[in-house]
Amino acid sequence: MSATAHPLSQAELLDQENKRYHAFINLALFLSVFTGVEIVVIFLPFPPAVLFTTLITVSVIKFFCVILWFMHLIYDAPLLIILFVAGLVLAAGTMVALLNLMARSDVDPGILHDSSLVIRATPADQIMNGFTVV
Amino acid sequence: MSDAAVLAHADDSHGSAEAHVEHATATGIDTKKLVMWLFLASDCMFFGTLISTHLVYRKVYPYGSNEKGVIDIIKTFDIQLTSFSTFILLMSSFLMALAVSAMHKGQIKSFRRACIGVMIFGLIFLTGQVYEFTHFFDGHAVYTFSVRTAAGESISSTYEGPADQTRAKADLARRLFRDHPDWLAVPTTANAADKALAPAAQLARHPDWIVPAMKQVKVEKPSLSMQNSVFGSTFFLMTGTHGCHVAIGVLWLASMYLYSFTGRMQKNMHGAAIDIEICGLYWHFVDIVWIVIFTAVYLVEYIPGYNPVQ
Amino acid sequence: MSSTLVHDKTELSVQRSGLGLPRPDRFVGWRDWATTVDHKKIGVMYGAAACFFFLVGGVEALTIRTQLARPMQHIITAQLYNQLFTMHGTTMIFLGVMPLSAAFFNFVIPLQIGARDVAFPRLNAFSLWTFFAGASLLNFSWFLQVLNIIGLLNPVDGRTDIVPGGGWFGYASLTERPYTGIGTDVWVLSLQILGVASLAAAFNFIATIINLRAPGMTMMRLPVFCWMTLVTSFLIIFAFPPITIALGELLFDRTFGTNFFRVEGGGQPIFWQHLFWVFGHPEVYILILPAMGIVSEVLPTFSRKPLFGYPIIVFSGAVIGLLGFAVWSHHMFATGLGKVATAAFSLLTMAIAVPTGVKIFNWIGTLWGGRVRYSVPMIFSLGFVWEFMLGGFSGVMHAAAPADAEQHDSYFIIAHFHYVLLGGAVMGLLSGIYYWMPKISGKMMNQKLGYWVSAMVIGGINVTFGPMHYLGLIGMTRRTYTYLGDKGWNDWNMVCTIGAFVLGIGIFLCFMDLVVTMFSKNRDCGPDPWNARTLEWSLPSPVPAYNFARLPIVSTRDAWWMDKHAGIPIEYDQADLSHGVHMPSQSWMPMGAGFGFFMFGLGIVLMSAGIPYCGYLAISGLCTTTLFIYLWALEGPGGYHLIVPTESTPPSPTPARSRAPVAVSHH
Repeated sequence: MSATAHPLSQAELLDQENKRYHAFINLALFLSVFTGVEIVVIFLPFPPAVLFTTLITVSVIKFFCVILWFMHLIYDAPLLIILFVAGLVLAAGTMVALLNLMARSDVDPGILHDSSLVIRATPADQIMNGFTVV
Repeated sequence: MSDAAVLAHADDSHGSAEAHVEHATATGIDTKKLVMWLFLASDCMFFGTLISTHLVYRKVYPYGSNEKGVIDIIKTFDIQLTSFSTFILLMSSFLMALAVSAMHKGQIKSFRRACIGVMIFGLIFLTGQVYEFTHFFDGHAVYTFSVRTAAGESISSTYEGPADQTRAKADLARRLFRDHPDWLAVPTTANAADKALAPAAQLARHPDWIVPAMKQVKVEKPSLSMQNSVFGSTFFLMTGTHGCHVAIGVLWLASMYLYSFTGRMQKNMHGAAIDIEICGLYWHFVDIVWIVIFTAVYLVEYIPGYNPVQ
Repeated sequence: MSSTLVHDKTELSVQRSGLGLPRPDRFVGWRDWATTVDHKKIGVMYGAAACFFFLVGGVEALTIRTQLARPMQHIITAQLYNQLFTMHGTTMIFLGVMPLSAAFFNFVIPLQIGARDVAFPRLNAFSLWTFFAGASLLNFSWFLQVLNIIGLLNPVDGRTDIVPGGGWFGYASLTERPYTGIGTDVWVLSLQILGVASLAAAFNFIATIINLRAPGMTMMRLPVFCWMTLVTSFLIIFAFPPITIALGELLFDRTFGTNFFRVEGGGQPIFWQHLFWVFGHPEVYILILPAMGIVSEVLPTFSRKPLFGYPIIVFSGAVIGLLGFAVWSHHMFATGLGKVATAAFSLLTMAIAVPTGVKIFNWIGTLWGGRVRYSVPMIFSLGFVWEFMLGGFSGVMHAAAPADAEQHDSYFIIAHFHYVLLGGAVMGLLSGIYYWMPKISGKMMNQKLGYWVSAMVIGGINVTFGPMHYLGLIGMTRRTYTYLGDKGWNDWNMVCTIGAFVLGIGIFLCFMDLVVTMFSKNRDCGPDPWNARTLEWSLPSPVPAYNFARLPIVSTRDAWWMDKHAGIPIEYDQADLSHGVHMPSQSWMPMGAGFGFFMFGLGIVLMSAGIPYCGYLAISGLCTTTLFIYLWALEGPGGYHLIVPTESTPPSPTPARSRAPVAVSHH
């Protein structure tokens, strides 16, 4: 807890902690249910795009629920949220950039021993880049 | 907050040289808590890089390796075990929140109970990881083999064991030797040094002296190792680092648990509550990293089309 | 209790820590320095190490330049040349500029924010000793190389590059097991250890600047040097994790045969480049921002004007830090990233020139209309503005990817980064040395020599690296240990070498003067020889152990200047000082933990060399570190109380009229 100019009395402290206790129980149940949903849904016959979106959404919800309640951020100073989100955004941004920078077509086709996976550039691209199709 | 009120606390020494002097902070946030949140922000980049490595290589190598057939991730994974581990870690997070809450209320006995709970669940998680890793590393395959008994007959049978042929042969040879030590047949062409060894040592060096022929029939779970594929390298480094973080967390919790018996915590309950809270922050962070890893590494492999072998 | 309330710490009675061991508070001499948690002493030790390693890196550079002075020389072998440029880069960046910046962070920040020490004094000491561990491991490789030459150390892989020779950027696949020797292991482990040191220090400084400011010191009243330290520390905590992972992956490739960058296993070496430069680009901003902060202190002081556009300078610094994470692939324009990626990184790199330019304009605005005093620190700061700008111009030229295709891996790049690093970071740091030395030691450096040094350094930089722009554009490539004599490069290479020696002599003279000044017995320059603006100049020189007897209550930016000249006196906290001021206890534990890292690194290196049982050395190193961290936690913070002078006014400032315009040396 922060060193405020008006520290809470013992009774107020107990009351606050007990309210949070109920929040924790609810959150634990909620997390269990959502994890179960995730595990079940991947085996259901939905299109992959729907599955991806569901998984990512559910994970993000679980992620932020733990941060905000178990880690007390919602009860704490805004500065802490800003600091953590800064790191999170940088990490996520770097991840997205790296995923977009490396492509399957960058891998030397000679070492992929299944040619159906090789994505060849179209002849037009290759001429623009100064290469010719081998 | 007025500057005068802040200053009233500024140099408030408590007399004893051992007392922890509390300074009012410029933001009102406890400094240790601030540093822990900074550390967690930094750790986001740490795990972000590890997960990026894994995902980039997943994108570039759909089979997880530059050669098709080296690994088959879906067959190797055991989603039930991993789901169980995930539940365990989530529940440990819940217990951790209870532990922190207990310390804020000044209830050391409740804290100790919750703390033990978190440690036990953490250890269950780690056990699950170790079990998972050894089973991934071993894989599972079916072999047929033939063996010569002491009487000179040749028996054929099947054996189920590790996917790696060398290890499977050694394992089978050990089992057979344990039950029938007299089946070990030293060939006449063996060199003098080998003939002079004790039977157990001879077995260790030459498993084929008891199992002359062994053939792999079916690989039910290909072995996943750090060396045999890119997926293996990225997977084990990432989950291994996470496991190390959990282990450090368990050690930290054990230290706090033992420390609660020394009587020093009771002298400064407010400081102790902050210390437990930052331990809790670390533990919860390890949990949310697992949430991301579980989804981005395990669950997505089951989505049709993500993995071309599906 | 009275035994812990003393006038001087040598009067303390023996205090026992939570472990029952005596606390090392009463020592003077080397044990005082070894166990100190005082940010000022830690700063001095960082500075001393940095100056030493600057000279080491300088010798490496001069050897390179000697080799290149004339075509087709074979003064040194090609392998030694590779090792020299690797060690020169690694030493200058990690053991030269970063610790010298850390020295200033340590010494100056608590004084400028009105605090008595940093947030976690023992963690501060831990950063220092871990830094020493990493620095020692890296340079211990020279000793191991000598052992190899005389035949006492024969690595099992048969390779003889025991000093790292893979470049300071360690590109895979060159750094994989088949192609380089244990030098690469030395490099990887040293950087990991140095990374731990930097991270610990960065967490400490962010906590200090955010939480330990004096009352009334809002964020927008902070000196710009504090702001730049804050941004640099954030860069450190976000940039070092990727390199930690990349180095770890390389180490696993080399030691355990994983496939992160090993082509035969499917690894993609380009991924090393990505991960390295995700760290590497913020790293160069880590190198330059502290120097920019120093210049932002020196220019207003010697123009006798406030910093022009304070909020914009702070904001630009933050934007540079943020954008610094978005431009890393401009180091990889020649790798075939593709049209979209190249264009994106090119644009972002050009964008980052904008806040930098804004800062330059603001510095010029600070000078404009001021009554400029050309003191030695001012000469260096003015030199910074000019030289860094030149380096920035060549940088912006690199940002244009088609031009970079020509410039990449040529001497043009070497010219660029030496202008920004030497003409930028080092000039700013030299300015800081001359500026703050009176505060650190109580004595001015030799100003006349300082002018000569500035002439040699500025002249040397331009003579050495100016011609390299031309050499690069006519085709001289980097990292080649010799060259043919018929390409038209000969004369300019000789010029560069001469310039390098002039530069080296200048730096050497500066450091000799520094040592003489630090060891001098006179402490006669007074608290405020420069008539400066910020809080540290309100304290006696050298600064007493407790910094401020009474904490200042700040009501404006440049509070000390306002107190002296604008009639806005600094109020001082009127807390009851009869119990003295609380001082943190000293400790052996941070040093022990740092030493454990050295054992760990050495163990892994020797294990890679094939020496038996060295794995146990590594493990015992980690156990040592863990043990000392446990002891550190268990011994408790401790502390004692120092009786301080309780007059409620600061030492009276020297009246402006009686102060000479430029501090003239009397030696």
